[in-house]
Amino acid sequence: MNKFFSKNLPMISFVSVPVLFLWHPNWLGFLGAQPNWSLFWLLPWSMIHGSINGLIFGLFLGLILDSITLESTFTQIPGLILCGVLFGKFKLKSDTLVSHFRYGLICSFGSFLCGTLNFLQILFKNFSDITFLFFIPSIQNILAEVFLTGFFAPLICSQLVRMFKFSKKKVQS
Amino acid sequence: MLDIRRISNSRWWHKKKNWVFFGIFLFLVFVRLSKGSIYKDFYYFISKPFWPGQFQKEIILKSIDQESFIKLNLLQRDNIRLRDILSLQKSTNKDNISAAVISRKTGSWWRQIILNKGSIDGVEIGSSVVGPGGLIGRVSNTSLYTSSVTLITSPESRLGVWVDRIQINGLLVGLGNDYPSLILYSKDTDIKVGDFVSSSPASTLIPPNIPIGVVQSINETFNNSQKTAKISLLAKPHVIDWVQILKAKI
Repeated sequence: MNKFFSKNLPMISFVSVPVLFLWHPNWLGFLGAQPNWSLFWLLPWSMIHGSINGLIFGLFLGLILDSITLESTFTQIPGLILCGVLFGKFKLKSDTLVSHFRYGLICSFGSFLCGTLNFLQILFKNFSDITFLFFIPSIQNILAEVFLTGFFAPLICSQLVRMFKFSKKKVQS
Repeated sequence: MLDIRRISNSRWWHKKKNWVFFGIFLFLVFVRLSKGSIYKDFYYFISKPFWPGQFQKEIILKSIDQESFIKLNLLQRDNIRLRDILSLQKSTNKDNISAAVISRKTGSWWRQIILNKGSIDGVEIGSSVVGPGGLIGRVSNTSLYTSSVTLITSPESRLGVWVDRIQINGLLVGLGNDYPSLILYSKDTDIKVGDFVSSSPASTLIPPNIPIGVVQSINETFNNSQKTAKISLLAKPHVIDWVQILKAKI
């Protein structure tokens, strides 16, 4: 049983991303926004397995998250694919402290990218009847999400990187 | 002969009794000047246990409740009869389904809640969802055991509403924040802050007369042909745990 868990840790954590997304714990939120949970998983995965894997799992995550949300005005797939490819370009560093902060910075950037793409899609789709009032909550959402994602990324991503590396070793051995 | 000085303790101010009288006199002057407020306040406290009070208040409140209940029943019956005559949409309590909120996304990009009742319990797409306070949203999607509700704060949501004071229909549009916008297609409407907004009797999407919110502010400078108002919702989806799904016959 332990062996099964240690080998399949990445997939088990992958399944937990939509669960966290649905759970939406308010006590972790800021201005009604939540951290971008999918990026916490995608960053370690892409860093270890490369851009192509990042692209594929970005697409998978996007498909799952889109299916559990109702909004048809935008999709999360382009943002997650882009992040998956981009995160794959970053290499793991041996310096623990620097890499901790790097996770935060990279995830913040990824969150900004995803948020901006969401916003642009909504803007494009509702271009005719959108009011300036719509911009305020959208920008607030992007900024709150960027802050929260950057804040939690060093904690979560470093643990996930360790877990994924361990799991990769187990699979190879 | 020369000793004509009085004995010192015979002066009036040396007598304690005189000072007591003087004190009482001063107190009475104060009472007079304060127009008896101290007495009245004192009386307030000592008479409190003997007021017609709590028991009588309860009886009166109970009577008022009963009166309101009877009036409400009569009005409801009238309403149903009139709606039957006009062949308008109606909803009854028999069709309500109680459901718990199992997932809540009331901030960020999504404005939706997921309920623990699905198609197996008879929930249908398009049903209205109300919580304590009033309308929350409409069911947009159902699975076997869950149903997803688009909140009225969602940019996807567009509902016909009724402003009771000025007897006018408007369109309630979600903006992605906690305050949806009410659009009135007439610049001259006399909408005021505090006006009550409910679901429109003419709406084909939701049952009529469900409370929605009150006008919080009015935007005068939006458009020449429209007037918009910011609506504060009566039901708070970010704290509500239990809701009712109304199965409207459309």
